[in-house]
Amino acid sequence: MPVPSRLDRFVETEKQRHFSRDFMIGWEAYETWDEATVGQSGLAQRTFVITEEDILDYNRACGETDPLMIDPAFARQHSPTGELLQHPIFVTTIAFYSLGEKGIGTWIRTPGARNPQQRIEISEPFRYGEIISTTITTADKFTQRGKPYLQMLLDFRNERSVLKARWWCSLILPATRADVSRFANA
Amino acid sequence: MSISFGEIQTGHSLPPVAQSYTQPAIDHYALASLDMNPVHTNEEWAARAKVFGIPETVGHGMMTMSTLASVVTRAWGVVGKDGGSIRFVDAKFTKPVKVGETVTATGKVKRKHHYGPGKNWVQVAIEARDSTGDVIGLAEVGYNLPD
Repeated sequence: MPVPSRLDRFVETEKQRHFSRDFMIGWEAYETWDEATVGQSGLAQRTFVITEEDILDYNRACGETDPLMIDPAFARQHSPTGELLQHPIFVTTIAFYSLGEKGIGTWIRTPGARNPQQRIEISEPFRYGEIISTTITTADKFTQRGKPYLQMLLDFRNERSVLKARWWCSLILPATRADVSRFANA
Repeated sequence: MSISFGEIQTGHSLPPVAQSYTQPAIDHYALASLDMNPVHTNEEWAARAKVFGIPETVGHGMMTMSTLASVVTRAWGVVGKDGGSIRFVDAKFTKPVKVGETVTATGKVKRKHHYGPGKNWVQVAIEARDSTGDVIGLAEVGYNLPD
């Protein structure tokens, strides 16, 4: 299913240029609710190198106007880190980029998923050039009021294994691959 | 803005944040976050799939979470001048945000956590409403404040 071409005008970063934007391609390989096993853990497919343009575009998309968040030259002179400050929910970009299209945690891309709640903890700001590895652990799986919930814990660490942030990511999902296919083929 | 743990009082209100959820704004968020789920960007698919029971695209939950968190970061800074910083954001989403909505988020200091010099933090309760007045999201934000 082609992604609407109008989105092309928002492409600003190198990662966006190479990211597989059509979530319907390869949905058959996404992990599903009924397949997920609580306690299973693994590394995400890709690492994420923090760049100024990634942070800048996320901050802009959030409507931020603070020059410490959207003006790289100003941030170089005035920010406590000498870099753009990132919005605390920026880990979303790291997760979607890193998790990829196959294996544990790929249910984050599921067509038909609904977002009930999220928790993100920040240990310290990301810095330009850091290489972030994401460890995924399936944290919980249950049914509530007939809805299948799945939760994973994402640990984001830099190349020195320093924990930068954690995300308890929860979604309500179509329960089986057959259920997912009904959305994928809608 | 510079503010200290000692000065801040429970019930202190933070300035509201209003965010427009136009389709271009949602499209931009989709690229920036790399959450390209078609429920946010593909009107034709959304009309057929009716993920939320409505035949329309909707804003990202993570975009709502960003608006909720911005109430605190715009008031006190992502990293405050005197050492403030975000600890956590805990959010729940109660209603899908339709295209064209303006979401307004407001926050109040709910609790002060006294852990000693350099370790004190506050808990801010935030709620976001759409133009009909319905609550679309709630959050608790933990923020380290300088003594």
